[in-house]
Amino acid sequence: MSPRRTETGGRIDRLRTIRFTFDGAPYTGHAGDTLASALLANGVTLFGRSFKYHRPRGLLAAGVEEPNALVTVLRGEVREPNIAATMVEIYDGLVAVSQNRTPSLAWDIGALNQLGGKILSAGFYYKTFMGPVIGPLKGTRFWMFCEHFIRRAAGLGKAGTAPDPARYERMNAFCDVLVVGSGPAGLMAAKAAADQGARVILADLEAHFGGSANWSGETIDGMSAADWAQRTVAQLGGNDNVRLLPRTTVWGYYDGNTLAALERVTDHKEVAAKGEPRQRYWAIRAGTVVLATGSFERPLVFPGNDRPGVMLAHAAERYANEYGVLSGQRIALFTNNDSAYRSAVALKKAGAAIVAIIDVRSDVSNEMRRLASDAEAELLADHAVVATEGGKALTGLKVQRFDAMSGALSGDERSIHADSLLISGGWSPTIHLASQAGAKAEWDPARQAFLPPKPTHRWIGAGAFTGSFSTAEAIAEGRAAGLQAAGGAESSAPLPVVEAAPGNPDPAPVFEIKAKGKSFVDFQHDVTAEDVRLAHREGFVSVEHLKRYTTLGMATDQGKNSNVPGLAIMAEALGKPIPEVGTTRFRPPYTAVSIGSLAAERFGDLKPERLTPMHDWHLANGARMYSAGLWYRPMIYGLAGETVEQAYVREARATRESAGIVDVSTLGKIAVQGPDAAEFLDRVYTNMFSTLAVGKARYGLMLREDGLAFDDGTTWRLGEQEFLMTTTTANAGKVMQHLEYFLDVIWPELKVTVTSVTDEWAGAAIGGPNARAILASCVTGTAVDNAALPFMGIVQGRIAGVPVMICRLSFSGEMAFEVYSGAGYGTHVWEALIEAGKPFGLVTYGLEALGTMRIEKGHVTGAEIDGRTTARDLHLDWMLSKKKPFIGSAMMDREGLIAPDRLELVGLIALDNRPLNGGGHIVEELDEANPHDSLGHITACCYSPALGKYIALALVKGGKARHGTRAFVSDPLRNRFGPVEIVSNHFYDPDGSRMHG
Amino acid sequence: MAEQPLPERQSPLEPEYHPGSHGNFEHGVDVILSETRPGSILQLAAWPGEEKRLIEIIRKVTGLALPDGAGGGVSSGGRAAFGFAPGKFTVVDEAEGLAQAFAGSITPAIGTLTDLSHGRTAIRIAGPKAEWVMAKFFAIDFALPAFPLGAGRSTNHHDIFAQIQRSGADQFDIYVFRSFARSFWKALCHASEEVGYEVQ
Amino acid sequence: MLITCPYCGPRDVIEFTYQGDGNRERPQPASQDLDAWNAYVYDRLNPAGDHSEIWQHSGGCRAHLRVVRNTITHEILSTEFARGGHKSADNRAEDRP
Repeated sequence: MSPRRTETGGRIDRLRTIRFTFDGAPYTGHAGDTLASALLANGVTLFGRSFKYHRPRGLLAAGVEEPNALVTVLRGEVREPNIAATMVEIYDGLVAVSQNRTPSLAWDIGALNQLGGKILSAGFYYKTFMGPVIGPLKGTRFWMFCEHFIRRAAGLGKAGTAPDPARYERMNAFCDVLVVGSGPAGLMAAKAAADQGARVILADLEAHFGGSANWSGETIDGMSAADWAQRTVAQLGGNDNVRLLPRTTVWGYYDGNTLAALERVTDHKEVAAKGEPRQRYWAIRAGTVVLATGSFERPLVFPGNDRPGVMLAHAAERYANEYGVLSGQRIALFTNNDSAYRSAVALKKAGAAIVAIIDVRSDVSNEMRRLASDAEAELLADHAVVATEGGKALTGLKVQRFDAMSGALSGDERSIHADSLLISGGWSPTIHLASQAGAKAEWDPARQAFLPPKPTHRWIGAGAFTGSFSTAEAIAEGRAAGLQAAGGAESSAPLPVVEAAPGNPDPAPVFEIKAKGKSFVDFQHDVTAEDVRLAHREGFVSVEHLKRYTTLGMATDQGKNSNVPGLAIMAEALGKPIPEVGTTRFRPPYTAVSIGSLAAERFGDLKPERLTPMHDWHLANGARMYSAGLWYRPMIYGLAGETVEQAYVREARATRESAGIVDVSTLGKIAVQGPDAAEFLDRVYTNMFSTLAVGKARYGLMLREDGLAFDDGTTWRLGEQEFLMTTTTANAGKVMQHLEYFLDVIWPELKVTVTSVTDEWAGAAIGGPNARAILASCVTGTAVDNAALPFMGIVQGRIAGVPVMICRLSFSGEMAFEVYSGAGYGTHVWEALIEAGKPFGLVTYGLEALGTMRIEKGHVTGAEIDGRTTARDLHLDWMLSKKKPFIGSAMMDREGLIAPDRLELVGLIALDNRPLNGGGHIVEELDEANPHDSLGHITACCYSPALGKYIALALVKGGKARHGTRAFVSDPLRNRFGPVEIVSNHFYDPDGSRMHG
Repeated sequence: MAEQPLPERQSPLEPEYHPGSHGNFEHGVDVILSETRPGSILQLAAWPGEEKRLIEIIRKVTGLALPDGAGGGVSSGGRAAFGFAPGKFTVVDEAEGLAQAFAGSITPAIGTLTDLSHGRTAIRIAGPKAEWVMAKFFAIDFALPAFPLGAGRSTNHHDIFAQIQRSGADQFDIYVFRSFARSFWKALCHASEEVGYEVQ
Repeated sequence: MLITCPYCGPRDVIEFTYQGDGNRERPQPASQDLDAWNAYVYDRLNPAGDHSEIWQHSGGCRAHLRVVRNTITHEILSTEFARGGHKSADNRAEDRP
């Protein structure tokens, strides 16, 4: 048995030994131990080095609020830093290391920082990293160089660089009652609500339910409180309407009673089961929340209060009663309230010697005097600790007479030999979640604590959270809260009977003992009482400013220990009462939350992607895929050894020479149906659709309400009241919302339904001089000649037995057809077309060749319809009907939208025969050293096989008037400068003779 | 000329559809995943005020009597119907050709019919952990009292829009856009590993 | 934040798309009153307090809702279909199970 482990007692299983390492050294512990309790049992006193001064630090707490004992847990290549050792359950093979020390915890070079304590005072970073504002080092690289080392010297654990292979998951949960905290109050609330039939979730951040019942040593209903808690949990577990979530931290309270929680599913396990996530992020929608989150014991602020061996009183009690570990053999206690006396008795019972109880108060009650004598402790009322002694472990302390009213010390210092000093500065309710929910905490002068105010959301408080620190009160309030939350009537049934040590919950208003030496307020961020006063002297009077300037309460523990003492010291410096100074509002998360759990399934392989029906065919036939939004589309079908440019040039050239086929299934397709469908389209498009004959298609343009261009595409009239609208791939969702908005909000009288049918149809566009011959060879049930299928005509037929709809329209500028079939037949039809095209040398082409041919034709896409251009800018004014109003018609002629110097669509030819780049600027005079006076920019570019030149589309000021003139491309980012000729955007076959055949 | 028979429709899940037991199945299979591949998936919409007439037409054509209430639905034999939006219903038949059966009866005065038989993919999850796995994807309450038998819900998982019908006490049919189906299926399998799953 | 869709019930805000100030009045389609159009297209009320807004349940039934929301507390005071009359004609929202 290890030196500090008690023979009996606690919830650990002494028969099960668990092996782990800390800083490379092997240790053993027992099942039920945390890393903190196991190391403490092994006599370890030094757990970490402090943030700024690298001071040796030991355990202060036993729970989530632990500020000092932060460790990094290693699993394979993955390191997780900054976990409180008190929250790490040990398992066989656990590897943990300490942080912020070089080279080792015991010998730390950084401890030299203590000598520079005056320099590293409050606001150090603000003062330092501004750099010297005058003198030779002003704004120099040398200063930046120093900053690197200064920043490295201070800090917490290091994040790993290896990818995290762990699985994280998100869960959505709904309940009538969410109970946060499973102490006596939470258990009673959960039980009462569950008995009413409510759906209950009980969450606790600890591994074991029970809260203080697990270590208080109290008796409930004649059994130990720990047994009572276990029995109650077992009863709850038997209910179908109860979900128990241990190891689950409720860390965020959001609008609509939505709460965020993190469940540590496998962090305590040697190996996760197959498919088991490491952590689960629970999004809980609760009817009512019962906040039974308990309270934190506060440290006292005095010189040397951070020495290893100084611990919160309840924490030592918990280590003894729950884990069977003594914090020391000779224990002294230093308190401003009654609760420490109970701790003293408990530790005495567990086998330690209580050498002294130092109480700042003069009026110690007779009940407490009796407890002190039960603990066989010398009671030093009217005294305070003024110093501690020892290096990496405590050896003793010094006390002096103290006047609680004036804070004055008097008389001689007296030394007391002790290896453990337990401190209690009163208790602060854990009001974080209520504060997140928007509640402004209220200062209670009796409790010397911020108490939760009236709820602003549907929550009910119970137990220590409300400032009711006794277990009997917690039980009564818990049951009442559970009943109320479940909508039940108040109960007059007898409550469980509690036997507990007596105690007054109100502490003396003493937070700090002012004596020589560093007195820490925030242990984790190394903020001293003097830092707080310095901040005040430097003019920081608001609590929010104080927090940021001193960094008080800003580390991973978020001031769970330091918040109230810091405020009290600030208030004293300001000469104001604490409620006037106020407190900061707590924000989520309550404790650190892994980024992995928030990202959950939203990355990597599980990111949603959209695939066309022919996706697998493309992959099997050499397509290099390209992500376009969520879609995957072939970029090129490259041959061996081909560059991207060679591939698309070959594909485009072959299409213009014979025929090419491209997958256009991603185009947005919207069924527009109903008696008012034609009228609706007339309002939505700038041109007329009511005049369109059934069986014909028309190219349409939509504007936004502000008159700028929105989207374009062809719409096919399949029946008198039935249209198939196509949109660009990128805008499909936006256009759908646009149509739905107008139908639902603006014109609810129109009888029109719009439905996304993008996924219903597989689409293949086949174009080129031989396209019609290919179709003729494989289409049955209809002719495809000019009479049956004129430009913009639609026919229905079959290909390889599958019904298809064919529309003759062209994006490539060639004689071209779009062939639509049911998506489930997409590959079947595609393969039949490929087969039919073989005698004609049909090529498959990808987005690059598609883009090349559209640039050659001067067609616009999203690169030109960029939310800043008008129909006129794009030379689409011929589509603006004068016969009817349409969306955007009233606004499109505004002064600024018809100004002569607007950017207009033009074509560019590179005169130096070198590639152009999208985004490159067009200038009148080239000035490489000082690029200026942009006339516009390139929107799309390619090598044109049809022209044998590098060409581009561009938006250029006064574009049309510049046709035939020379300008320059100026692209300093890519160092591309050179002459271009400005031409019409219709580079190729401007009169359309090829597509009209 | 006699028409060639139609080829079999290609499933979007094909390369990722692996019948058999997967994940943590040694401890028991707690969900069964399958693609139900109905022949017909239709969307019917009624103009405001015409909903009752449309519901009556659905009953006449399919024999499915839709219960009252938003999202009300029914699933019986190889057919299913449920409301998914005001005045809008999804009607499913394991056989093809349901659109033709409705063709004459849904007149322009009543509403519209849209055939989505190819455009939506139907995935079924069944088993004691079906609610648990579904809760990983959708922020809706899957408990039986909140989501009764036969009822339909419209919701989404990130960009993946889904219509969900409870077709059994522990069985749900999920209708997703075909283009997203494989992505959703992969995620569904991944999320089911923990409880052990079987693909049928 | 939860928004109660009259058709789908309470749903998480991630299922909804904000579609702007609900107090705007679109001029008649043929109107040439540029001031009125300008107000409709660009002017938005931005009250600190109760605000009438249009939200689309884009991740659900896709209906547009008129939502009265307190912009300070995020409290949702009421929701109804933006499409006037549909609710009463359908009469299916009230008898949701």
